[in-house]
Amino acid sequence: MTTWRIMITIARYHLLQRLLYLVLPWAILAFSFAVNLVISAELPPNTNRSGGLATIYVYVFAGGLLATVRSLPFGLALGVSRRSYYLGTAGLGVVLAAVYGLALTAAQALERATGGWGVTLHFFELSYLLDGPWYLTWLTSFVGLVLLFVHGMWFGLVYRRWNLTGLVAFIAGHISTLLAAALVVTWTHTWAGIGDFFTALSAAGLTGVLAALAAALLAGGFTTIRRVTV
Amino acid sequence: MLDDATPLFTQIAQRLAEEIADGALAEGERVPSTNELAAYYRINPATAAKGLGVLTDDGLLEKRRGIGMFVAPGARGRLLDERRRRFTERYVQPLVAEAGRLGIDPDELVALIRQASHTPGGITL
Amino acid sequence: MTATITVSGLTRRYRHHLALDDVGLTVDGPSITGLVGRNGAGKTTLLRIVAAQELPTAGRVLVFGASPIENDAVLRRMVFVREDQTFPDIKVRDALKAASWFHPHWCGELAETLIGEFDLPTDRAIKRLSRGMRSALSIVIGLAARAEVTLFDEPYAGLDAVARRLFYDRLLAEYAEHPRTVLLSTHLIDEVAGLLERVVMIDRGRVVLDAAADDIRGEWTTVSGPSAAVEQLVAGRPTRGRRRIASQESVIVAGALDDIDHLRARELHLRVEPLSLQQVVVQASNPAAEEPNDRTHA
Repeated sequence: MTTWRIMITIARYHLLQRLLYLVLPWAILAFSFAVNLVISAELPPNTNRSGGLATIYVYVFAGGLLATVRSLPFGLALGVSRRSYYLGTAGLGVVLAAVYGLALTAAQALERATGGWGVTLHFFELSYLLDGPWYLTWLTSFVGLVLLFVHGMWFGLVYRRWNLTGLVAFIAGHISTLLAAALVVTWTHTWAGIGDFFTALSAAGLTGVLAALAAALLAGGFTTIRRVTV
Repeated sequence: MLDDATPLFTQIAQRLAEEIADGALAEGERVPSTNELAAYYRINPATAAKGLGVLTDDGLLEKRRGIGMFVAPGARGRLLDERRRRFTERYVQPLVAEAGRLGIDPDELVALIRQASHTPGGITL
Repeated sequence: MTATITVSGLTRRYRHHLALDDVGLTVDGPSITGLVGRNGAGKTTLLRIVAAQELPTAGRVLVFGASPIENDAVLRRMVFVREDQTFPDIKVRDALKAASWFHPHWCGELAETLIGEFDLPTDRAIKRLSRGMRSALSIVIGLAARAEVTLFDEPYAGLDAVARRLFYDRLLAEYAEHPRTVLLSTHLIDEVAGLLERVVMIDRGRVVLDAAADDIRGEWTTVSGPSAAVEQLVAGRPTRGRRRIASQESVIVAGALDDIDHLRARELHLRVEPLSLQQVVVQASNPAAEEPNDRTHA
């Protein structure tokens, strides 16, 4: 088998868990949507911006997490290298994100066409982030979903490699990175500049930043999986 | 079925040799294959093959290409001769030695043997 | 020709203990090798490193002449069945499906037969299987994969004697039909003794015994009876595990006993019992029991 074939087979291996990767994310999103639809009917026009869309991102994170925490041992037992497993899993994340992004884009178009499902509900539209043309909605959704899937994978790998202690340290690392950045910014009195940066940054620009972050996480996860033992 | 005293391949060879000597495996008859022996005795096929090899080396079995192993002509006679020799060594000699220690002279011993062969259940002195 | 598996200078150190200590081993196939030793001796660690699931601290492993680490071409030709396999949340049928995708020589027909024989419910989620059923599933995968290198790490947890017998019989039948290199770690040595061509014993991370199974058989014998008579027979031989009660004594003698020895034993009214493979292994894992040879004139 070529690496490509192995990657595709790894993706199929994950998709044996149809519920986890294909059904649950949409079932939960549909539920969240239905609740919001009911609430919106009771609320004044254009006031419901619930953020319920976030559920699907959370689920994609969980998918990435389980793909490494739970499915990795048997995956490696089937006779593939860590590299192939990682590439196949990440590849699945990218394909799922592309397809999910397309579905979200279509839902957004429908939402716009129906005046917010007749009750001015803005479920698939988020101001600033997801309110541009359809292709930007798709691109931003796609990048965001990849980012969370890959991040989930890395979390799972850290847990596999260093257990709970490692996971706590990993989360602490996340927080300290953010704190350190904030401190640097505070000391250098550049808060205003940062504000300007984000204000000036278009949604497309932000998507670029997220894409760079996703690539960094992907690389980080790869260095971790090379040291994982099962 | 097999014991721990001697290597398994030796035991396999001995079993087959016994069957040949008893006539259970007639001369010219096909003997079980390596895999048949392995499955029956639950042993590694390599061990079974080694057991067959011992008998082949002794000329008791002969290989017919593509068909299997067969009992060689004259195998039974040779095995019986060998058995008789072993019988003397293993049973008769110790018997005579022990009898000597107990003060049983050869005539008495022969009488005891006669008596034993008429009463298959055993005798009491 | 390169050996199927070559292990040299293999060391695996964990924070507080040395799991493997300079292990060397060469396995040529087709063959069935038993990897024996007490729990925690390092058997599992060794197999995990051979399967590239664990990484060595020092030393190296070659399978088909190449390192299995991050080597798809080598890993594909191996299957590793372990006692504590973690499965994703899938059904039995799905696990078999996945295995069939990855193992190039997978035999679906054999898998079906084995599933029937082990009475495995294919529609059930793996997490709802009993321990024994999970072991059976792993065994089915290990055999049906028909991988050139097949590693079994105590694959019978939770299986009763009948199911274990079934495993041994199927392993033997499969091996006879499709020879491969099998490494089987076990502590139920007597159950598999006949299957093994070779026995490698690991104790405290080191290889302490590596011999053809047939060379070990009959190499050790327990001699018991009146002390004086025992001493007379075993004089000049290395002995172990001497035990005494009143005027009776029992001792384990190294080296095969010949016909003369047996004759003498009979004259001396001694009981002579060969040690089983299992008992030999127990002896080998207890080198401290070795006794000096100066008590023969006592």
